[in-house]
Amino acid sequence: MTALELAERALAAARAGDGGALATVTTERSLMLRYARSRPTQSTAVDDLTVEIAVVRAGRVGKASTNASDDDSLARCAREAEAAAVAMARSAGEDGYPGFPEPRPVPACDTFDAGTAELDAAKGGAALAQAFEVAERHGVEAHGTWTVGDVETAIASSSGMAVSERATDAFMKVVCIATDGRSGYATAAGKALGAIDPAALAERSAAKATFSGEPVDLPPGEYPVVLEPAAVGELLAMLAWQTFNGLAYVEDRSAFSGRLGQRLASPAINLSDSPRFPRTFQHGFDAEGVPKLPLPLIQDGVAMNVVHDTVTGALAGAASTGHATAPGGSTYGPIATNLVLVGGGASDAAELCRHIERGVYVTRLWYVNPVRPKETLLTGVTRDGTFLIEDGEVTRPLVDMRFTDSALGLLERTQALGSAPVLTSDGEFYGRRFATGAVCPPLRAASMRFTG
Amino acid sequence: MRDLLAELMDAAAGRADYADVRHVSSLAETMSTRNGHIDLVRRDGEEGFGVRVRIGGAWGFAAARGSERSVAEEALERAIAVAEAQPRVQGAGPLVPEQPAQGSWATAVEIDPFEVPLEDKLELMLAADEGMRGDPRVTLTMAQFSAYRQDKVFASSEGASCEQRVVECGGGIAATATSEDDAQVRSYPGSHREHVAQAGWEHFAGLGLVENAPRVGEEAVALLSAPQCPAGRMTVVLDGEQTALQVHESVGHALELDRVLGREASYAGTSFVQVPDLGSLHYGSEHMNVMADATSAGGLGSFGWDDEGVAGHAFPLVSGGVLRGFLSSRESAAEIGLERSGGCMRAEGFSRQPIIRMTNVNLLPGDAGTLDDLIADTDSGVYMETNRSWSIDNRRLHFQFATEVAWEIRSGERGRLLRNPSYAGITPEFWNRLDAVCSESEWRLWGLLNCGKGEPGQAMHVSHGAAPARFRDVQVGVA
Repeated sequence: MTALELAERALAAARAGDGGALATVTTERSLMLRYARSRPTQSTAVDDLTVEIAVVRAGRVGKASTNASDDDSLARCAREAEAAAVAMARSAGEDGYPGFPEPRPVPACDTFDAGTAELDAAKGGAALAQAFEVAERHGVEAHGTWTVGDVETAIASSSGMAVSERATDAFMKVVCIATDGRSGYATAAGKALGAIDPAALAERSAAKATFSGEPVDLPPGEYPVVLEPAAVGELLAMLAWQTFNGLAYVEDRSAFSGRLGQRLASPAINLSDSPRFPRTFQHGFDAEGVPKLPLPLIQDGVAMNVVHDTVTGALAGAASTGHATAPGGSTYGPIATNLVLVGGGASDAAELCRHIERGVYVTRLWYVNPVRPKETLLTGVTRDGTFLIEDGEVTRPLVDMRFTDSALGLLERTQALGSAPVLTSDGEFYGRRFATGAVCPPLRAASMRFTG
Repeated sequence: MRDLLAELMDAAAGRADYADVRHVSSLAETMSTRNGHIDLVRRDGEEGFGVRVRIGGAWGFAAARGSERSVAEEALERAIAVAEAQPRVQGAGPLVPEQPAQGSWATAVEIDPFEVPLEDKLELMLAADEGMRGDPRVTLTMAQFSAYRQDKVFASSEGASCEQRVVECGGGIAATATSEDDAQVRSYPGSHREHVAQAGWEHFAGLGLVENAPRVGEEAVALLSAPQCPAGRMTVVLDGEQTALQVHESVGHALELDRVLGREASYAGTSFVQVPDLGSLHYGSEHMNVMADATSAGGLGSFGWDDEGVAGHAFPLVSGGVLRGFLSSRESAAEIGLERSGGCMRAEGFSRQPIIRMTNVNLLPGDAGTLDDLIADTDSGVYMETNRSWSIDNRRLHFQFATEVAWEIRSGERGRLLRNPSYAGITPEFWNRLDAVCSESEWRLWGLLNCGKGEPGQAMHVSHGAAPARFRDVQVGVA
């Protein structure tokens, strides 16, 4: 049975009633191998699915889910969703959910690779062996993950929606750690295993871990920076949650609230959500089945749009932009999942360094959390490859540093970008697997505030 | 189910050095309000098998949904295939011994939260939500409720066979007040959306959300015009919740033995603590006494057995400021020569494998009396309450935290409200500046639902017992 057939069975189990119903099925087959100190440590193979039913009564959306697919379980799930909607209506009266969207054509996306969907553990084992071999040659130890996934999403609704999409993803991370504790980092991600070259990743990571020189302690202060794509992607992901989020926008919690049309970043910044950009994890529709269309978020430094689902769109007097994370609205709001930052004219990160007399080169950021979201003020630390830039060149390793700075401020202070954006992804996969990432180049900013 | 799992483990015994299996059935009910509207009411259920095997030192874990024998058997085959596909682990030794788990265990619950009508829950939540509003500068009010139930059956190739039922329940409220360029949040009883315990509906009903709602809304508004918390080195008194988070981030995670041994270096990170530090590292002052206690009543880290069948127990991590223990598994305990696992292997559900997690990592109460007594005993400084942001480096050494609110302390009295308080430090330096912990009357368990670790990611529920505590000479005002 296909995911869409199961979604249609789940929809049939729900009584559409006065407001309609929507059923979502997400199937996941995935395999992840972890390794540390050049030895395999953990592996996880998952074969699971989620059936979620959303029912509207009196403008209220009740929801329930199960991972069973038999008729009794689907009927129970539908009853629980209806009971939730009825209780909401009894407790607080009628509400204004506009109803599930009408079906619209979903543009074709390039999401699936059959070879990757085999989830071949032997290929993973071979990838680990390659990483271990390179690490040994450089006198370091390899740590990281190799993972592949095959996820199918289908939505059927009483409004006539019937869409499905099968997507594969592949991700590998190699963190090399030298005997003195210094580390390097390299990742690759894509819809297919062909995007991953384990030996090349290990070489890149090992080169950072073994970069010559003793690590230098730089005092807190503001320094010019070059951020590699992974660091840029981390900052953009935080903006996606806090700033481009239509719910935060309508609730006056976003830095874009009341400021659309204003210049908030450098004119060099052109950022969009581009769900069919070739190097992203493409997605054709959102959690309400609404087609995902390209949306400019920052154009020539000017704040242009935030993303919406049907709920926040209605609150803002706008249409859904196809960014729902749950049918009928989410506590967390709609999220941009396919960020693409347009590259600039610098050939690579090394060229970006050439204009810096004394600054900091950052491979990646870690444990980044908001301090004051409306200011986009974040704090986090650098790790796995922080270096000193002197007279236009990376010269020495630095001890990792804490930054406390505004993400939008960094984009405002951006001076130049690399010309070759790459897909960055953290490969974390909490909950049901959903591959996402940002396509971004390295960038140089006039200053970044380091606080320790 | 116990028979099915026992037979599966019989089949695994000849093919793997070690094997275990869990069948887990989970149910969650989550609800929230937003500005007087009901934002969310949902129920989520799932069940399935998680089978783990160890072959030649390599682990294979496979998860599959359902409760049928054929599903469990397929998962076992997949786990074996995955383990066999990986490079061999040279020098892998046996797991540290453990008496096979036998029996059953359950959370003590007075009122089953899943039997309370949805309307009763919503009535209480809407009343609390309403109580926070009134001032137009309060632009967002939220009330949360959640309940979780997990039924687990466990068996191993060593003859373990046990079952457990864990029930959790709780909630909370939060108000956001905004101005043109600022947004300030107040939460109750704590931040991180809600305060959950291993308990029934009685825990949620007893939180006092409606009674505290007006104060929460008023404090959010007051923060918009409150003076900025001053910067500099000063004495800091932390409330119980922030102290609990400080324990979580800079003690609990730092003492996870997988991190110490470098097993989590590529994701969660490592630790500044090393194995030879056991028994000698002066982690903190003599006022610092920390226990890992999987038997704390109501704690989210309490259980009969962990997810590799080790009976829940309590043991010291830090005594009188000196490092005394690690959070460990059977494999990691064996690696450093411990006689027994700390019993800290936990998995988020059937589809995730057990990894080393905190149980209830508790800072034991001191003798400083009540919070009012502690403030009265403090000449000058700031009192900080309710976590707002948190970040710590991958060695659990350099941290920076912010709280929602602070009050200045002058001549032993609580003074002006202060906004945007934050502080930073280095873990052992900070804990060595601990000079007072409030007494048992102020001590309570604080629950966290969002402790992230592992790949694929797992969000674990943990608790920390803590009371307000005082730290001297702390860097304040970094953010």
